[in-house]
Amino acid sequence: MALLSFERKYRVRGGTLVGGDLFDFWFGPFYVGFFGVVGAFFTVLGTLLVIYGCVIDPHRSIWQFNIAPPDLKYGLMFAPLAEGGLWQIITICAVGSFVSWALREVEISRKLGMGLHVPFAFGTAIFAYVTLVVIRPLLLGAWGHGFPYGIFSHLDWVSNVGYQYLHFHYNPAHMIAIVFFFTTTLALAMHGSLILSVTNPKKGEPVKTSEHENVFFRDFVGYSIGAIGIHRLGLFLALNAGIWAAICILVSGPFWARSWVEWWNWWLNLPFWR
Amino acid sequence: MIRATARPLAGLALAALALAGCKGNEKTQLAQWGVKETVQSGERGTGMEQVYDMDDVNVRYAATNIPTSLPPAGTSPPGPLPWKNVQVLNDISVAEFNRTMVAFSTWVAGTGNCAYCHNVANFSADTLNDGTPIYTKLVARRMIQMTRHINGQYSAHVKNTGVTCYTCHRGKPLPNGLWFYGDQDDYLRHYLDRDGARVISQTEGPTNANRSSVKQTEYTYALMISMSKSLNVNCTYCHNSRAFSRWEQSPPARVTAYHGIYMVRDLNQNYLSPLRPVYPAVRLGPMGDAPKAQCLTCHNNAYKPLYGAQMTKDYPAVWGRSEWNGVPFPAFGAAIAATAPEAAPAADSAAAAAPAAAPTPAVDAPPPAPAAPQGNAQPRTNR
Repeated sequence: MALLSFERKYRVRGGTLVGGDLFDFWFGPFYVGFFGVVGAFFTVLGTLLVIYGCVIDPHRSIWQFNIAPPDLKYGLMFAPLAEGGLWQIITICAVGSFVSWALREVEISRKLGMGLHVPFAFGTAIFAYVTLVVIRPLLLGAWGHGFPYGIFSHLDWVSNVGYQYLHFHYNPAHMIAIVFFFTTTLALAMHGSLILSVTNPKKGEPVKTSEHENVFFRDFVGYSIGAIGIHRLGLFLALNAGIWAAICILVSGPFWARSWVEWWNWWLNLPFWR
Repeated sequence: MIRATARPLAGLALAALALAGCKGNEKTQLAQWGVKETVQSGERGTGMEQVYDMDDVNVRYAATNIPTSLPPAGTSPPGPLPWKNVQVLNDISVAEFNRTMVAFSTWVAGTGNCAYCHNVANFSADTLNDGTPIYTKLVARRMIQMTRHINGQYSAHVKNTGVTCYTCHRGKPLPNGLWFYGDQDDYLRHYLDRDGARVISQTEGPTNANRSSVKQTEYTYALMISMSKSLNVNCTYCHNSRAFSRWEQSPPARVTAYHGIYMVRDLNQNYLSPLRPVYPAVRLGPMGDAPKAQCLTCHNNAYKPLYGAQMTKDYPAVWGRSEWNGVPFPAFGAAIAATAPEAAPAADSAAAAAPAAAPTPAVDAPPPAPAAPQGNAQPRTNR
């Protein structure tokens, strides 16, 4: 049943990518579809394997549970289950469920005749994850380059990978990614506060409109990007944060194996002052 | 060590980002396009790895000239050794001695250049015909002892590979990475000439127990970066960055490096600095100190000097006892006393005698404790 009485009318047939009408139904409030079934399969299997991995893990704390990728010696082969094979299967399940979720978004968008901005945006996050655990390990020739699944262990991995290049903050793509992450929060905070400010006027005054929003920013910084524009900008900033995060780890190793500090020697060697 | 090669996918990487036009020299290149090989130095999933660009490694390896060993020495004439004034290499045969001298000239002075160290009119003399001391011969004698000291006492660092003159000299009289006292080298002065590299607090909360300053911390960081550059390795070669100080989480390479710090400090204190009176002024630093060694001096940007080439096993002369048995500088006493530098006259006279007297307690003893440098009579300023 729909949670709201008027929801049913949006439940239109069709728009599926795979399976035709077979999975074109709702389970409670959730659209199912072929990718809902596939996604549920991978999610359940992956979660059970994570639980199994925690059970066989010697640590007995949620912070320390660790499902690590295989040793580098296994290269791009399958590893024994307890020596990284579990990580490999869980990674397959994770990619499978993430991609299914994105394709389910596509099907829902198609049903409603919307653009594909939402699955595209989520696809960018998937791309960042796949870069970490699939693309970069492929380029470096071993699954062991992926990050481990565990709360503390993945933080330790991030730390050590940074120190592999001596000082990761000198990675130019990392710099750009950080700028986009910060700017994303800045843009969201400015936009969110602006919308709340026009919808929460003084008692007794009417709710303001987009004209007030525009005037506020024109008075404030001389320019208002507009109601659609702020959402374009927000999506651009957020997607770039993820894309540059993926790039910054993709180049570390496959395309740069030395200190990131050293990379900046090109600046010292510019003809103006060398 | 576990290795993985990215060979099958290098072509893909090249095709995917075919900006090969950017490929430049090592100083200006924006990306490394070579095949990557990775060495794993920690448990799986910890990110303790060293990725190498094999183009980079091959260029460096090709630039490393590893000499082929001379043919083994033939039989020697019977009877006692004929040498006069041979103070260190008097425990090897005549043929091995001559072979060793030829090797030394190749390694340090340039092939056949006997006159770099010897009075060719009288090979046994420590002076020229006019009585001028040949400082290169006196230094070389001490360096042979130092080499034997390293090979005998520091197997924890040099393992069975050992060192020869060539490990540092690379065919040149002056090895790379020599350093002198000065502002730029303060960190080396502290850690490779004096103190232990220890700034990390042992308690969780702030206490007054650790008096290390920000400057000392910076020195430690500078030393670590110099080691990283000298060996061309990253931080995770020796450390697990989740707890840099914890030995039980560190790769074994850190133990080797730790012995290396003790070794270089010992060499600087007991072999290199005390040679100051022997050197002409042109070889001394701006503060009048003798040239000293650091990690780079031997390693020359390789994780193992000469990439672990086994040279030492072919030269028995660089093994053996390392005591200073003989009168080192007979012609020097007066000249040294006259040229003793400004400060601390008592210390200077000790320094003058240092090559003869001071090393004796340190020789064949365990590495000196960092807090108690032995046999070091260097005048210290600007602490």
